[in-house]
Amino acid sequence: MSETLNRESLLEAYRTMRTIREFEERVHNDFATGEIPGFVHLYAGEEASATGVCMHLTGDDYIASTHRGHGHCIAKGVDPVGMMAEIWGKATGTCKGKGGSMHIADLEVGMLGANGIVGGGGPLICGTALASKIRGDRTVGVCFFGDGASNQGTIFEAMNLATVWNLPAIFVAENNGYAEATSSTFSVACDNIADRASAFGMPGVIVDGFDFFAVHEAAGEAIRRARDGGGPTLIEMKLSRYYGHFEGDQQTYRAPGEVQKLRETKDCLLQFRKRVTANGEITGEQLDAIDAEVKAMIDGSVVKAKADPKPAAADLMTDVYVSY
Amino acid sequence: MPSAATPEIVVGIVANPASGRDIRRLTAKASVFPTAEKANMIQRLLGPLGQLGVTRVLMMPDATGISAGVIRAVRTHHAQRLPPWPRLEFVDIPLQDGAEDSVTAARAMAAAGARLIVVLGGDGTHRVVAGAVPGMPLATLSTGTNNVFPDLREATVTGLAAGLFATGRVPPERALRRNKCLHVQVGDRHELALVDVCVTRMAHVGARAVWSGETITELFVAFAEPDAIGLSSIAAMVEPIGRDEPDGAYVRCAGDGRTVWATIAPGLVSCLGVAEAGRMQPGVDYLVATRRGSIALDGEREIELLDGEGAVVRLALDGPWTLDVGATLREAVSRGALGGDAVRPPDP
Repeated sequence: MSETLNRESLLEAYRTMRTIREFEERVHNDFATGEIPGFVHLYAGEEASATGVCMHLTGDDYIASTHRGHGHCIAKGVDPVGMMAEIWGKATGTCKGKGGSMHIADLEVGMLGANGIVGGGGPLICGTALASKIRGDRTVGVCFFGDGASNQGTIFEAMNLATVWNLPAIFVAENNGYAEATSSTFSVACDNIADRASAFGMPGVIVDGFDFFAVHEAAGEAIRRARDGGGPTLIEMKLSRYYGHFEGDQQTYRAPGEVQKLRETKDCLLQFRKRVTANGEITGEQLDAIDAEVKAMIDGSVVKAKADPKPAAADLMTDVYVSY
Repeated sequence: MPSAATPEIVVGIVANPASGRDIRRLTAKASVFPTAEKANMIQRLLGPLGQLGVTRVLMMPDATGISAGVIRAVRTHHAQRLPPWPRLEFVDIPLQDGAEDSVTAARAMAAAGARLIVVLGGDGTHRVVAGAVPGMPLATLSTGTNNVFPDLREATVTGLAAGLFATGRVPPERALRRNKCLHVQVGDRHELALVDVCVTRMAHVGARAVWSGETITELFVAFAEPDAIGLSSIAAMVEPIGRDEPDGAYVRCAGDGRTVWATIAPGLVSCLGVAEAGRMQPGVDYLVATRRGSIALDGEREIELLDGEGAVVRLALDGPWTLDVGATLREAVSRGALGGDAVRPPDP
């Protein structure tokens, strides 16, 4: 087990979390102008989860994401410049501008795709994990899903299959407390999603999803266990999103001041900065420099996305079907 | 129901909804302690408390289902006209979904006149409650992972002993035992531990639980019994200390030290090297030699030890009072406190 994260790893973690936050804050602002087509579901607030998990993965490992997938994409190594162009519907986007926010996929880096089907990622990850097991190459698959998806039959079936086949699969339930506008306390029959693990014969643990270090440690053990042939694990991240289910959601179901309090007391970036600067592992100036670099990169990605061409009408039917 | 002139006899219940769910489900073979069972245990407490004349029970609210389960049970209980339960109320606290809820709830119970608080949780939960309400008698029930401090016992029996104490049938000098504790000072920060203080090489608090023997550098224990599960079992292998002995113990680990095997978590027997071990005297400051790492209190990393910050651990004999269930019941029997009409029958 790792006793500590070295300086380079800490800087990498911060850069990833900051990139996700900056990306999402920028999309939040730009979406309000009406220029971005389609729907977007923002991941701001949940950065420690994707980052703490994906830091343990290689390019040969796979993840399956959700409709709230930007953070998973960035943490898994998808180019944010291409993602921004994709969200703006441009031909230079990750999926040539035809997927949009909810369908960003990049198989080159093991990102199976954001997914508009709630709970759709579980069976996909069982597929990649079965392939990993047959190949015997110690790769793993990670299925991110939310508290809403935790009630879907696809997730139950996937977890069952993962245990039956002893697959190198990790199920990461990002419980942000709301399935669209419905509180998980009203919609999830058990009290913790992690408690469902025992019914599927796998370990289930609860992790503070705002705490990068807690996520990193628990995910590291689950992934190591899967690589070693130990089978699947369910990790429930207790966290929250800073924005609505989708952009434009008025969030009348949330208490006044709820998000502001989370930003001030639990924010993963603030917690991280406080802890790594307190013991001199990293200086505040180093983190400030990353903030500036990331902001410049995201600003540049928007300038480029706005200037890039849209897909041509002739491209309508290209890349739509795949021949095997 | 008691008449208006009857003095209130109040007992508090703090049940930690988060106990029994940490990383040791993954790194060891620790079991999940279901919420429904915690709610059941509270029901099994309410029976003897009500039958012995406790009039009011104050509970900590929670958002995970323990409270909801108990409320449902109260309605069913009344409908069936079963033996009386005390009036159940929830202390009015803003839920933070963290350990601070136990602190706030315990203080509210003390302010409302609770004579005793029943705690359902692991060592960590009991540490938090003991620190929040010094001097408050605690009845301990284990629902955690490594449980050395609380009793692993049927809740009905604990409820019976709690009722005997709270109603004055068994006096404090017979019902209560004084525990030892450990005080930790790191800079301006002061913390309490009830069983063990473990120093690790892990730089960050992270997933909190200490689950790998390889990372442990030092250990300080208030007591260490060879049949215990958890970190104190390491000390028990080289310097066993009884719960009622006036000493503690320390252990310094090193890879080339004397080899011991210890049950540090359910299903996990770790091999550690012990370089030095000895007894701790009460009131004496013992310096933590590790310059950088983290300090776990009763099994959970709570303090990140900065380079050269320095920390000291001190054993104290004036720790929390806990209900000695066996002694209380034995005393009750000798006094005839459970005979005749001592226990209330069902309402007609």
